[in-house]
Amino acid sequence: MTREIRIALTGNPNVGKTTLFNALTGSRQHVGNWPGVTVEKKTGKVSRNGCEFEVVDLPGTYSLTAYSADEVIARDFILDEKPDVVVQVVDATNLERNLYLTTQLAELRTPLVIALNMADMAEAQGNPIDYRKLSGFLEIPIVRTVGTRGEGLQDLLDAAVKEAKTSPHHEHTIGYGNEAEEMIAKLTDPLSADRTLSGKYPLRWLAVKLLEGDENVLAKVRGGAASARVQSILSSINSDEYEATMADKRYEAIAAILPQVHRTNTRGTTFSDMVDRVVTNRYLGIPIFLALMWGAFELTFTVATPFMTVIDTLTVWLAEFAVASIEPAWLGSLIGDGIISGVGAVLIFLPNILILFLILALLEDSGYLARAAFIMDRPLYALGLPGKAFIPMLIGFGCNVPAIMATRSIESEKDRLISILVNPFMSCSARLPVYVLFAGAFFGAHAGGVMFFLYVLGIAVAIASAKLFRSTILPGEVSPFVMEMPPYRLPTAMTSLMHMWSRGSMYLRKAGTIILLGAMLVWALASFPYGVEYGSAESFAGMLGHLVEPLVAPLGFDWKVAVALIFGFLAKEVVVGSLGVLYGAGEESLTDALFADPSLSAATALALMVFVLLYMPCVAALGVIKKETGSWKWTGFAVAYGIVVAWVLAFVVGHLAPFFIGGA
Amino acid sequence: MSNGIKILFGAVLGVLYAACGLLQVVQAIFGTMESLEALFIPGNIFSGSVLLVIGTVFLTGVRKLSIGTEEGMPFIYVGILFSVGIGLVELLALCALGADAYLVGEWADWSAADAVNPLLYLAVIGVLGLLAWGKEFFRGARAA
Amino acid sequence: MMEGTCPLALLAAGTEAKVTDVRAGRGMQARLLGMGFCPDARVTVQCADRGSIIVSVGDARYALSRGIAMKIFVGIAKGSA
Repeated sequence: MTREIRIALTGNPNVGKTTLFNALTGSRQHVGNWPGVTVEKKTGKVSRNGCEFEVVDLPGTYSLTAYSADEVIARDFILDEKPDVVVQVVDATNLERNLYLTTQLAELRTPLVIALNMADMAEAQGNPIDYRKLSGFLEIPIVRTVGTRGEGLQDLLDAAVKEAKTSPHHEHTIGYGNEAEEMIAKLTDPLSADRTLSGKYPLRWLAVKLLEGDENVLAKVRGGAASARVQSILSSINSDEYEATMADKRYEAIAAILPQVHRTNTRGTTFSDMVDRVVTNRYLGIPIFLALMWGAFELTFTVATPFMTVIDTLTVWLAEFAVASIEPAWLGSLIGDGIISGVGAVLIFLPNILILFLILALLEDSGYLARAAFIMDRPLYALGLPGKAFIPMLIGFGCNVPAIMATRSIESEKDRLISILVNPFMSCSARLPVYVLFAGAFFGAHAGGVMFFLYVLGIAVAIASAKLFRSTILPGEVSPFVMEMPPYRLPTAMTSLMHMWSRGSMYLRKAGTIILLGAMLVWALASFPYGVEYGSAESFAGMLGHLVEPLVAPLGFDWKVAVALIFGFLAKEVVVGSLGVLYGAGEESLTDALFADPSLSAATALALMVFVLLYMPCVAALGVIKKETGSWKWTGFAVAYGIVVAWVLAFVVGHLAPFFIGGA
Repeated sequence: MSNGIKILFGAVLGVLYAACGLLQVVQAIFGTMESLEALFIPGNIFSGSVLLVIGTVFLTGVRKLSIGTEEGMPFIYVGILFSVGIGLVELLALCALGADAYLVGEWADWSAADAVNPLLYLAVIGVLGLLAWGKEFFRGARAA
Repeated sequence: MMEGTCPLALLAAGTEAKVTDVRAGRGMQARLLGMGFCPDARVTVQCADRGSIIVSVGDARYALSRGIAMKIFVGIAKGSA
């Protein structure tokens, strides 16, 4: 009986839009305590009291003049998709700045509702807000919400329905002073001649934006009926001046209201400031960061060992059981040698990966991630990247796909492109199984050191590549660093575990789909043509391997490794899965089987790990590189560059290593 | 009011952490002092460096407090958190190694003493600090 | 009440000041205004011992590179250090 109501959630970064979105729609979108978590619009549905709602979660933005890629998404949605109601999520602990965006949204005359979020925190700080009074001043309905506890959701939807049904209003606009108002009037006149534009946007809003020098609106006007007259008016003024004075007027209007609705007592030094003095200290900042990374490393690799032992024992036993007891023999082989050995070889690493994701979740939820970017700003700047680029790099330790998406909050296109291109060198969790397997088999007690070396090598290659790109193909200035430092919050066990699980279960799904498929494919290639010995040189796998072998032979890899590397392109875990299938683990674990292979030495193993670290982004990462760069040229470049770097470094490492490890 | 106690606490822990860290690093490079093993200070560059960082955080706080600036206090607090946090990591690692030794059947050869290191036992002192002043510190966290 | 203006980047940690002018060029200007760096806003430098500084505006904390902080002009309020 009622049509669907489309609600857009907008607001400043890190005010809790996604938390509110999740509470409203029952979704489980990723949230975190740093600005720029959401870089894409996300849609969810909810129905209440016979009303259907489509809720759209947008990336955060400080104003309607967009600056970075994620802000463009937010602005374009509000301007062009015309949602039925815009809900501005407002951080109640930071009212003044949040209301600045409100003044801009109100000028758009779109139906607007304010969700006064984190209201509990403002109250706890002794700053309760008289939101009914505020609502009266602004002539905008305000609903008190606490996203984390799901408070105020029903009221918010009710307000949205009511607002959507009222015709456009908000006559309450800000006066910008005589001079500016005169210019606005002057601009409105020719603008009204442009029918397409005036039908779509309020004239006053267009004029205000033009006066501010908004490139986006200027582009809309260009070529239209009003173009010539508008340009001639604009050429006579300095829009920088107007932008500042108009912002000033907006803040003045806010300042006139605020003292009447809450006590503005800015707290002096807070807990967060105290912690920041220590963790961003000039000398201690980076050592503290490294010490924390060491702790993360210790947790990921040591604490997981007993769990890995259990899974390992189980899979070996299951594979053996399947091969021995399932009839016919070929089916037993498929299930035992193929599926269980292949997928099991990858599943062993689930404990490491869960712990790794838990650590990343803690990093994101506590607010430390933004500080890490801050302390790394200077070293990264020297290498040609802004400090902000460090966040995608850290996220890359989990998975390069969300990491490459996270580059959207980097303002300059060139900086962003460099960040995207170097991100695959950050060692993602899918590569971890390869390291644990080979380092465990060939380096015993020194496995930890070897893995640490690989992670550092990945970072070093990423940084060196950034420097290289910056000084050759993508020259330019590093964009200035501007980033909000959110207050620290104690991560709750519940949310952190949920993050861990939502990303960890992706790993499980991957094991059940692409890795399973990869394992079965490799098994089939190793078993056919019919009649050949399983995994022998005469099988298809053997033929394929021997075809490629000359290319990787200088690195010391044999045909089995070559096959594994080819399929590793699907997902890097498949390297391990394929080896699991090809070595047909059976009675001994893959670790022992690899160690027993005479064609593999410690030096070769090291070269292999280096190669897997660097050789190319997996299919999923390539897809996202294409999407984010919008260019096949750069995607192809990422692949070619990765393979060349990997080949050269693996060659060097493989041939130098014997001198250091004494051929151990 | 209890600044004196905090300075003393920070100084003691700071010196202990820094000294153990230094010994661990030296031991890892030269590996000559057998008596250190008996004191549960194994040679290890990585954990030695971590000890040094934690020690420096404490000592920086002590230095700032002793010249009378309140700015030193966060360093003591963060140092305590750091000490307890890393101690917890080490405790988990110790349990994991023990459990693994049991699972692969090498329980008889395994001794917790091999895995004990200063990051673990110095954290016990850190826990005392957390018990004494943790509330005071975290009150700020909740309000923030 | 003002003692002349200077760029935000030159203030020492702990100094409180009032913004007088922001001249940051297209895009960045709008971002800074949206963040609350507008004329008359009270700002406090929280941390100034790295390449970038941390500044508080109201209850928000921002990291700004020195380059940007050079483009925000402030007047030091009388009475504060």
